[in-house]
Amino acid sequence: MKLREIAFSRSGDKGSTSNICVFPYNDADYGRLVDKLTVEVVREKFAALVTGEIVRYEIPANYGLNFVLFDALDGGVSQTLRVDPHGKSFQSLILDIDV
Amino acid sequence: MNSSRSIKIGCGSAYADDPLDAAAALADSGQVDYMGFDCLAERTMALAQIRKLQDPSAGQDQRIAQIVPLMKRLLERGGKVIGSFGAANPDAAVVDFATALGGLGIDGVRIGIIRGDDVLSQVLSTDYALPELRTSTSAIKERIVCANAYIGADAIVDCLREDAQIVLGGRLADPSLFVGPICHEMQWDLDDWDRVAEATLAGHLLECGEHGTGGNFEDPPYRSVPDPHNIGYPMAEIDESGIVVTKLAGTGGLIDRNTVRVQLYYEVHDPARYLTPDIAADFSEVTIEELEPNRVRVGNARGRERPTELKVLVGIDQGWKSVGEFSYGGPGCVERAQRAAEILRKRIDRLGDAVEEIRIDLQGVNSLHLGAFTAGYPAEVRLRLATRCATREAAATAAHEVETLYTHGPAGGGGAVTSIARAIGVTPAYVPRDQIDISYSVVTS
Repeated sequence: MKLREIAFSRSGDKGSTSNICVFPYNDADYGRLVDKLTVEVVREKFAALVTGEIVRYEIPANYGLNFVLFDALDGGVSQTLRVDPHGKSFQSLILDIDV
Repeated sequence: MNSSRSIKIGCGSAYADDPLDAAAALADSGQVDYMGFDCLAERTMALAQIRKLQDPSAGQDQRIAQIVPLMKRLLERGGKVIGSFGAANPDAAVVDFATALGGLGIDGVRIGIIRGDDVLSQVLSTDYALPELRTSTSAIKERIVCANAYIGADAIVDCLREDAQIVLGGRLADPSLFVGPICHEMQWDLDDWDRVAEATLAGHLLECGEHGTGGNFEDPPYRSVPDPHNIGYPMAEIDESGIVVTKLAGTGGLIDRNTVRVQLYYEVHDPARYLTPDIAADFSEVTIEELEPNRVRVGNARGRERPTELKVLVGIDQGWKSVGEFSYGGPGCVERAQRAAEILRKRIDRLGDAVEEIRIDLQGVNSLHLGAFTAGYPAEVRLRLATRCATREAAATAAHEVETLYTHGPAGGGGAVTSIARAIGVTPAYVPRDQIDISYSVVTS
């Protein structure tokens, strides 16, 4: 099953760092996200885009995970030649991960 | 403690080109006392600084003459407007406000001006580390075009205490545009860290405008938002019992637990340590309670002492960027676009060192996720050539290469479009707060 079936997300940028927060529609799926959506899995999915460290923060009070992806935006919105300089579309890629 | 204190505050703008219809509706509704306008994004300040270099009376927000008439009724009711309208030139923004107010026949409006965020001369004369570039300001001095410190709510509160009805500055931090009026009206001290964290929570949910009301959220069939064409801007009602985020009745959009959660952690790194000039805020245990449709109560933000350093965004001249696009469709379109890309690379090679960086993407195939997600063979593909060049002429020549594909490229290509823009990089430095001198004054229009 793809993550998109059970969760939603939003990505934002600060310089060349991206963050993607992810929430299950059903709070009961939070544990499954914690288990399946590891830094390693996210790193593999974003291998072509992200060259730096990836950090995961757990937010149990709101049943969410927040991923911070360093050196993810090819220098950031003002410098990159990429089509999506903010990485707004990263939120859609993470939802393609198998859970 | 006076439990009757309260404030209703709305968002008027989330960036320099934000449309103003939703702001006008909110200002005219009579349901807010304050409007906060975020007029800047990371790159906007650098572009404003360049406009100011070309014309000393420019560099401020370019919408002031449009905005003031929309705020007329709010101002006549005694409402107040806070914004980063100054961009690179707060004094020019004051002139624009006074002119626009005069044009409406409104005189005697108190306008607070906040100065001191522009620290370019200091950054050029002192060596500050630029950690993301792994260099320092002195090493790239000749390419630095601007340096602006993110500044907090202090001077906004000072201006409001002197009865300013309009408060403007340059690089006022986005949430601080709301923290200032909230703390002023609620009489919360700016070193009452838990209270400042609550005000910052409200500001964070307001400052991105439609991001807080269901924009950037729909994903059919999983998530839908009513009437996004008529989406309302967010507003917050704050009193001693807490913060309610809502929007005008009759507007499109959506505010519920999910739209609030996903915006709460937007552009936040460590949820327990969200840093602004005002606070180190802990949003990790924020509570979200749906009261009724499109009314959500939030609370339980915690705060620790604000950072001792201010983040300074340093703008760096990177030359010129050009983009040229060209389309292929039908059977074999990907292979023809790939062939066109090969031709372009060889043509661009001929331009030598004038082209510093080149990138070619196939939109419809791999441009957003660089191949991490693949689907079936596309019906059409748009080739996109992007270059960064030392000079405008080189950037123009490079972009023009996509047009030459009409005649010497593979079969059936069309739809050439090109664009050229200044390339300004921005990168942070961190400067001790006591080295940055923020001042304010209040004038009467």
